[in-house]
Amino acid sequence: MNRPALDLRAATRTASSPVLRVEQVQLGYWSQDGFTLAVADATFEVAPREKTIVIGPSGCGKSTLLKAVAGFIRPTRGRIQVAGRERLEPGPDRAVVFQEFDQLFPWRTVLDNVAYPLRVNGWKRRAAAERAREFVELTSLGAAADRYPHQLSGGMKQRVAIARALALDPAMLLMDEPFGSLDMLTRARLQQELNGIVERTSTTLLLVTHSMDEALTVGDKVVVLAGAPSSVREIADVREVGPPDSPGYAAARSHLRDLLGVRHEDDGGNGD
Amino acid sequence: MATATETVAAPRRPRTAGWSRLPVWVRRGTLVVLLVAGWQAYVSFSEFGGNALLFASPVDTGQAFIDGWRDGSLARATWETLRILLIGVGIGIVFAAGFTLFATLSQIGDDILTLLTAILNPLPGVAVLPLALLWFGLSTNAILFAIANATIWPIAINLTTGFKTVNPTIVAAGRNIGLSGVRLATDVLAPAALPSAITGLKTAWAFGWRTVVAAELVFGVVGGEGGLGTYINNAKLYLFTPQMFAALLTIAVLGVAFELLFGVLERRTTVRWGMQRS
Repeated sequence: MNRPALDLRAATRTASSPVLRVEQVQLGYWSQDGFTLAVADATFEVAPREKTIVIGPSGCGKSTLLKAVAGFIRPTRGRIQVAGRERLEPGPDRAVVFQEFDQLFPWRTVLDNVAYPLRVNGWKRRAAAERAREFVELTSLGAAADRYPHQLSGGMKQRVAIARALALDPAMLLMDEPFGSLDMLTRARLQQELNGIVERTSTTLLLVTHSMDEALTVGDKVVVLAGAPSSVREIADVREVGPPDSPGYAAARSHLRDLLGVRHEDDGGNGD
Repeated sequence: MATATETVAAPRRPRTAGWSRLPVWVRRGTLVVLLVAGWQAYVSFSEFGGNALLFASPVDTGQAFIDGWRDGSLARATWETLRILLIGVGIGIVFAAGFTLFATLSQIGDDILTLLTAILNPLPGVAVLPLALLWFGLSTNAILFAIANATIWPIAINLTTGFKTVNPTIVAAGRNIGLSGVRLATDVLAPAALPSAITGLKTAWAFGWRTVVAAELVFGVVGGEGGLGTYINNAKLYLFTPQMFAALLTIAVLGVAFELLFGVLERRTTVRWGMQRS
């Protein structure tokens, strides 16, 4: 193998302009104890069709970072640009899949949970229903199209959320530990499916996780956040790490583990 | 865990008593029949129950009920009561919506609503009637005031709680798909708060119903025109005991009917959506 297992150079700027540009962003949140700085300094870019994973230990501010990209909170310093614009309001161009299962509208069926956001964004009823059907099929939910969310398993709910987000044809898909509350097997299967769907729909993905395996199996690029308050420790290209049983994968995983400071007994693999 | 499954036979359905296996309408129907039989037995075998001036038999009550609905007197009284109740609850809803909006938008509004509810909600609906009579005179407005007061607080406090406890993830999802302002309120917050809204409405309806009948009784004493309360009171004046029973029966039937109506509403909405257990 002449290619290094993990490309340690900062990911090279692509020729096309990035979809997302995060520049020297500082983020924090207010609580009863006052202002807490979560992210001290984050700078990275996401190119079109690139699958970028932000990984970091719990509490490193990676979810806060995703919320800022989604427009729910504003950086206290720095800039977040999406498609060249500084966007500060939440919008369907950055469709979010949240970690919580109850992100679906319980009073709408699976199909309508996907169709309704389309109607909100100007689609005619019939066209919205057709497109919703297409994405419900794409996420293997065809048989459950007329069910209500409370009749679905956790994995199915997350699939609906993915279908809802992708149907909106967003400039980028934002995912906040979408499989974090799922069991190991369901999680592995959904990661596989996500890869396929994102590939087919040419979606630009920004996914936040604390799972190294999720980062390595789903991502093209991994942004490592660490420290409290956190900053970007490394931006690594992981396209060539190979399948989970390859030496390249093991090397990359071990490198990530060192960066994140994970002790061995904490490293629960994909089930962490 | 696989070891046990090989030897265990298909589990037997848990044994239940015959009664709980019967359909619900059979169980309820049987109880109603037993109740009427007990009523008739009391009339037949007790001295007090046998006194037709003091106590009406099921047959006499049924006759008075049918006669009352045939000649229109019970129907008029029922409609009058329901009309006043609907207007009163309508006024209550409007004011409750105002209070809820105020309480949802500002902390001071919330504090005011909490305080007013703590003071006024425990008051029985009719307790404010003397004051209402003083302010509005012997008019329907006095009853409306009492009903409105009895309904505003349960609706407002339930609605406010409902809006406050809406799952923030659903609201975030709503904003993410491009909803904001009024549309976010009508399309996400309102349905999410529906279980609380229905609870508030049910409580308000029960409070209002009690208040209107009680208020009419008071009015009947002082000689107003009116609804079921007045009807009962007039029947008492002339010792038409079966008519009193018939009016009470009407109130009970209406109570059951509205309970069923709310049940249907819940089954079609919150229960169907898994937001509330049936």
